[in-house]
Amino acid sequence: MKVNSPNILKLMWRNLKVNTDPGTLLFLVGLPAMYLIFFGYGFQSFAQTGANPKEVLKFMAPGIAAFQAVIAGQVAGGMLWSDKRWGMLAQMLVGPFTRLEYLMGIMLTSIVLGLAGAGIMFGVAYLLIGPTSITVVGIVLILSAALVGALLFGSLTLILSAFIKSSTAYNSVTILVLFVVNFASTVFYPFSSALPLPLQYLFIINPLTYVANTVRDGYLTTYGVGDVTNLTLLLVGTVILLFVAIWAYKRSDISFV
Amino acid sequence: MALNSELVAEVKDLSHTYDGKKWVLEEVTFNVKKGEVFGLLGRNGAGKSTLIKILTTLISGTKGKVSILGMDPVRNGPEIRRRIGVVQQGESFDFTSVEGNFDIYGMLWDVPKKERIERKERFIKLFDLDEVRKKKAWDLSGGQKRKVQVARELMHDSDILFLDEPTVGLDILMRRSVLDFIKGEVRKGMTVVFTTHNLEEADYLCDRVAVIETGRILAMDTVDNLKQFYGKKRTVEVSVGKNEASAFFKKLMEGLPVGDIYKPGENGSALIITESPRQVLQKIIEASKDEGVQVDWLNVRKNTLEDVFLDTLAEGKK
Repeated sequence: MKVNSPNILKLMWRNLKVNTDPGTLLFLVGLPAMYLIFFGYGFQSFAQTGANPKEVLKFMAPGIAAFQAVIAGQVAGGMLWSDKRWGMLAQMLVGPFTRLEYLMGIMLTSIVLGLAGAGIMFGVAYLLIGPTSITVVGIVLILSAALVGALLFGSLTLILSAFIKSSTAYNSVTILVLFVVNFASTVFYPFSSALPLPLQYLFIINPLTYVANTVRDGYLTTYGVGDVTNLTLLLVGTVILLFVAIWAYKRSDISFV
Repeated sequence: MALNSELVAEVKDLSHTYDGKKWVLEEVTFNVKKGEVFGLLGRNGAGKSTLIKILTTLISGTKGKVSILGMDPVRNGPEIRRRIGVVQQGESFDFTSVEGNFDIYGMLWDVPKKERIERKERFIKLFDLDEVRKKKAWDLSGGQKRKVQVARELMHDSDILFLDEPTVGLDILMRRSVLDFIKGEVRKGMTVVFTTHNLEEADYLCDRVAVIETGRILAMDTVDNLKQFYGKKRTVEVSVGKNEASAFFKKLMEGLPVGDIYKPGENGSALIITESPRQVLQKIIEASKDEGVQVDWLNVRKNTLEDVFLDTLAEGKK
């Protein structure tokens, strides 16, 4: 008996084939790698004499790996826009699958890209820093945070792409939102009570802070109960955003056709 | 709605509005029989594409009942979509090569790899796409893009193929080739629902047609029956000098029998669909004399489907 692949996997494969061109992959891998190299070495200038020059890189590497969740989320929103742009959204909606499967196909692609991107960043970090000791619990934490993070930011960009009607406006809004998300987080620098109060609040409500902290704790083997809290908060946020994304997509999909 | 086994689509009193104010479809009722080519004939904006969107589960009708392959499009969307093919009016491509588009489509519809390759090669050859098979689909000419869209939809088996203006942009040879291919598939048992505003195509391809205008079906029958029904009418073709046309046709229209249809053409020509061709000829001679205009071309012929279409629209307006 012939067993067909699940629709979500087929849709994910399609997304990887048609919606992730070399430019997208370069963006996915190249930009974070450059952040790691330029910021990692650049910030060492601030380090006091006598400090280990690899400490900044070591701090930043897991942050950049977490940042891949944001990039993957951005690619997810981009996939929906790409299908709209090339007229494929209406065509896919008359395809042999449910609308939810189509949406989940995009989300799964986002997760795969987020995990792959994080893996590549750790590879780059290995080349720059050398080997680090990592435990099984650490790996589980990193994978969980990267997975939930990709899903969360994928949902966020899908919400934006469902509500925003022009690609120019979508690009402008995502650039602005993701700039704030990236830089008001612990990806590049630690949280400090010396920060201005509004910025402290931004750090605290920013989900990327929790993704970065968890990935970092997993990577540096500094994990504890706080990481379980981080993951729980991320999971709750992801479920809420995912439901909003599905609602927004179902509400607005007719206008796409 | 209970489905007659010979019917693959049943539509009863279907109405649709996008904004809750203007009805784009009004109490549309028709059936599509298994193995026939059913044509939806109408001008741009008549409601054909909205109807196709409802039949293909893309949107839900506001009122009325629809059954496709015995199933409700609202409740059984995925089951229906697995058994239909849809060529939409707008361009749609995966952002990859021509053959990549074929491969992805076959994969999404679970066509086994060996068969996928065989079908891809067959359609690339049949639709004359070999030279552009490696090109990005989006970089093709309008006609080539349309060929890819139609051929891609044939990568998987369908019980009903919905074609929304499939030959737009195709040259005459390719248009005929596509229509002949569709005829061949119909002979093998496929049912086709086909929208067009090209009446020659409908005449060539369709077993039955529904003439649709401002969301209503004005006439529906086999092409032959429609022609026969309207066959007592004749079409008078008349042509005069371009500069004299305005005065001549103004005078002619004043004298035309009630119920005749006047359709102005280009460069001083016009069609008059009439039940009294002798009377129209008399009026043409009179207008020619009164206005001092020489008639360059005059012809009386039997009605074509285009004339039937014009006649139906005119009666619909009344």
